[in-house]
Amino acid sequence: MDPSRRNLLKAASILLVEHLANSRKFAFAGEPASASGRDERKVIIVACGGIRRAETFLDTGLENIPHLYHDLLPRSVFYPLIRNAGVTSHYNTISSILTGNWQRLDDWGKTPPANPTFFEYLRKRMGLSQDAAWVISSNKALTSRIGASSIRDFGPRYGANVIFPKQLLINAVIQAASQGHPEHSADRAAMRQELEAILQHADNYEGLGWSVSGNESFLDLRMQSSMQQAIEELVRTNAPVTGDEFTLLVSEEVMRRFAPSLLAITFSDVEVAHFGSYSMHLAGIRTMDRLVYELWNLVQELPDYRGRTTLFVLPEFGRDFDGSNTNGFFNHRSNNDSTNLTWLMCLGEAARSADVIERPIQHIDLCPTIAGMFGIEDLDLPGKRLPGLST
Amino acid sequence: MNERPGKAQIGELSPDAYRGLVDRLPVTMRPALNQQLSQWSLLFPFEQNRVASFMKGIETFSPSGLGAVTAPLWALEKKMGVKNWNFSEANDTIENASQLARSEYYSEWRREVQKVFDTVNAAAQSPAPTPAERTRLILLILPRNLPVSPQSVWRQWDPRGHEIKISGDSERLCELALQGQPDLATLAAQQGGVESSDLWLIDAEAKLRSMISNVSPIAASSLGYAALKQFRDRFLAELNQAPKDIQATDEIIAKLRLESWDGWGLWPEEIANQPRLRKFVIDLFLSGNGALIFSNAFVEWAVAEALRRARPRTIVARFGMRSKPKPFTSIAIFENQQRVSSLPDVDDPENSAVDAVILARYAWLAASRYPEQQQTLCICVSEHCDSAYAILPAGKSLDWSPQHPIASEELYRWLMAQILS
Repeated sequence: MDPSRRNLLKAASILLVEHLANSRKFAFAGEPASASGRDERKVIIVACGGIRRAETFLDTGLENIPHLYHDLLPRSVFYPLIRNAGVTSHYNTISSILTGNWQRLDDWGKTPPANPTFFEYLRKRMGLSQDAAWVISSNKALTSRIGASSIRDFGPRYGANVIFPKQLLINAVIQAASQGHPEHSADRAAMRQELEAILQHADNYEGLGWSVSGNESFLDLRMQSSMQQAIEELVRTNAPVTGDEFTLLVSEEVMRRFAPSLLAITFSDVEVAHFGSYSMHLAGIRTMDRLVYELWNLVQELPDYRGRTTLFVLPEFGRDFDGSNTNGFFNHRSNNDSTNLTWLMCLGEAARSADVIERPIQHIDLCPTIAGMFGIEDLDLPGKRLPGLST
Repeated sequence: MNERPGKAQIGELSPDAYRGLVDRLPVTMRPALNQQLSQWSLLFPFEQNRVASFMKGIETFSPSGLGAVTAPLWALEKKMGVKNWNFSEANDTIENASQLARSEYYSEWRREVQKVFDTVNAAAQSPAPTPAERTRLILLILPRNLPVSPQSVWRQWDPRGHEIKISGDSERLCELALQGQPDLATLAAQQGGVESSDLWLIDAEAKLRSMISNVSPIAASSLGYAALKQFRDRFLAELNQAPKDIQATDEIIAKLRLESWDGWGLWPEEIANQPRLRKFVIDLFLSGNGALIFSNAFVEWAVAEALRRARPRTIVARFGMRSKPKPFTSIAIFENQQRVSSLPDVDDPENSAVDAVILARYAWLAASRYPEQQQTLCICVSEHCDSAYAILPAGKSLDWSPQHPIASEELYRWLMAQILS
């Protein structure tokens, strides 16, 4: 990626997290903390939209995933066959992963998950603070309700912070256009005004669909000079900006600042497939491949994460097969292995011995596995703990 | 419904008479049929015949007989709790689809619905033999400005086909097909075709329409992404007002279906006087699949929908170039890129080629789902490579060795001979 584009996104992500941190000083001022409010063990899940095995871990797709295949696979426990036996929509799949139960909810996130998420189980049992659990998502099919269930004994007080960095960029673009100055989208410097305006004026982040406690909403002026510098560099280039790029940068800043024990990141650049551009879908896969590698390297760099982190990477599902009556790669609706069957990679502390486990597993197996990593063994969940991990 | 209705076996088509029959069916089968009946005059002949054939099949059953055929589906709907859903019987809605898809019985439901359709359609079949079909044609064009890879362009195509080297200017083939003596419209007329839904021209740009003769014996159904620009922009702006909510989106879609678009004066000339085609375009845009966003997705999806709904004898489809995503607008791809960025459009030939290659193949795969594919000759031409890939109807073969290059003129003559044979 060209350095100036990176600088803009990075500056924007720092700005964003700074902004969140400031607002959270007020939000958590009266929150009773547990003994530590933290746990040294860290789990990160990266769910990366609908990607077929044919474009990734089959021979036809290896060229799209050089980092996953060459750099990460040899040090991972790899599951080539993970089945999504639930509803292959984004909201239902992510909430199934988080809850360990197949969810059958409104596809557009109108209702919260019907079972507790692992955020809730762990925060309640271990007294973790809200800083310890985050969902950072590119996917606009999700809503803030993904962070906590509707179960009375659990719910939002034990849920995760949920933010949608890509939505900030989208809103900025749309706002610029709707206010009659599309030149802002062409002028990177002008985009700064749009980003700042949204952050400053979105009451309780409602315009962005976020769920982060606290109502304070102001821009940290200390960040303005670094933003200005980054933007000045950026205006010299003309490269596109991707939502997943920004999502990762915000995730990195959250990791640096809050060091959450539980972090779920969802990427969605690949979902451009719904609009029928295969080349942009492949570009999304390559971006995801690079971003996962960058995330893994960051895990090795940050003291809070190095040596104590397990990273799971998986597509939410595949996509429909070529020739399906659902228009192939465009969608993920057919009840077929191309859509239901995908892969899971596990890296880090739980994957001390690299292995390939060919026994089929399911998306709902992740929740009991993660709970087990934190010593919680007694949950009544339909999934099984993943084989081959050191937990 | 995968049956092939014969026009001869269908008598007077009467949508009003069919409504009572629809009410005898399980609830989840009704929306699609009721929607078709409510738009009867805007259906293509193939669709009308298909519905009529199905209704004829229902009429062959006594009430108890139909009850027996549909009993498993009724029972399944009860288990699914359909009567407690917000389920529209009048139209297919996103809400309907969403409720069905998230039911744990969804797969079972699909199987049961298919069983009912199969049984009813089988009952409707006439014992009379179907007359021999003439050869149908799908001609797909990857234009010269799309730099497809000669090594891989045909790699994933149906192995039954043949790669053909074209000597000289391969662009001539499309011109000859639409302007030669005879041209495709003349051939269609000679074969008894009088229906515009028998011949489709679907174009990412605006080339095909300009090629076809003004004195063609039958009017073609002609759709051009470029020609639809004004309409698309307006339609996209309306559609993007939909909030992130299924019910509200259904309401907006219903409103867009009923909108009096004709008053806006945005339709291109070739569609302006064809209400059925205008309705096809609206349905196409409302069904997603990128048809409003990318020209090549428009071409592929229009071909697929034309095949499904009209089962034309001839389709000529031409793919094209898309622009590179602009800074920032690539994250809001569903927006009108020209509206949200003032930067000029810049062509993206390499990636347009990647898109067009797979979407051209999808066009053939869409055709291959229907029984008519047995009589269909599909030729996809890469003008950049001066080569083509031909999939022949069952029992047919090339008249020459595919290793030997063939001139566009010869290929055209061979193609016309195949259609006439």
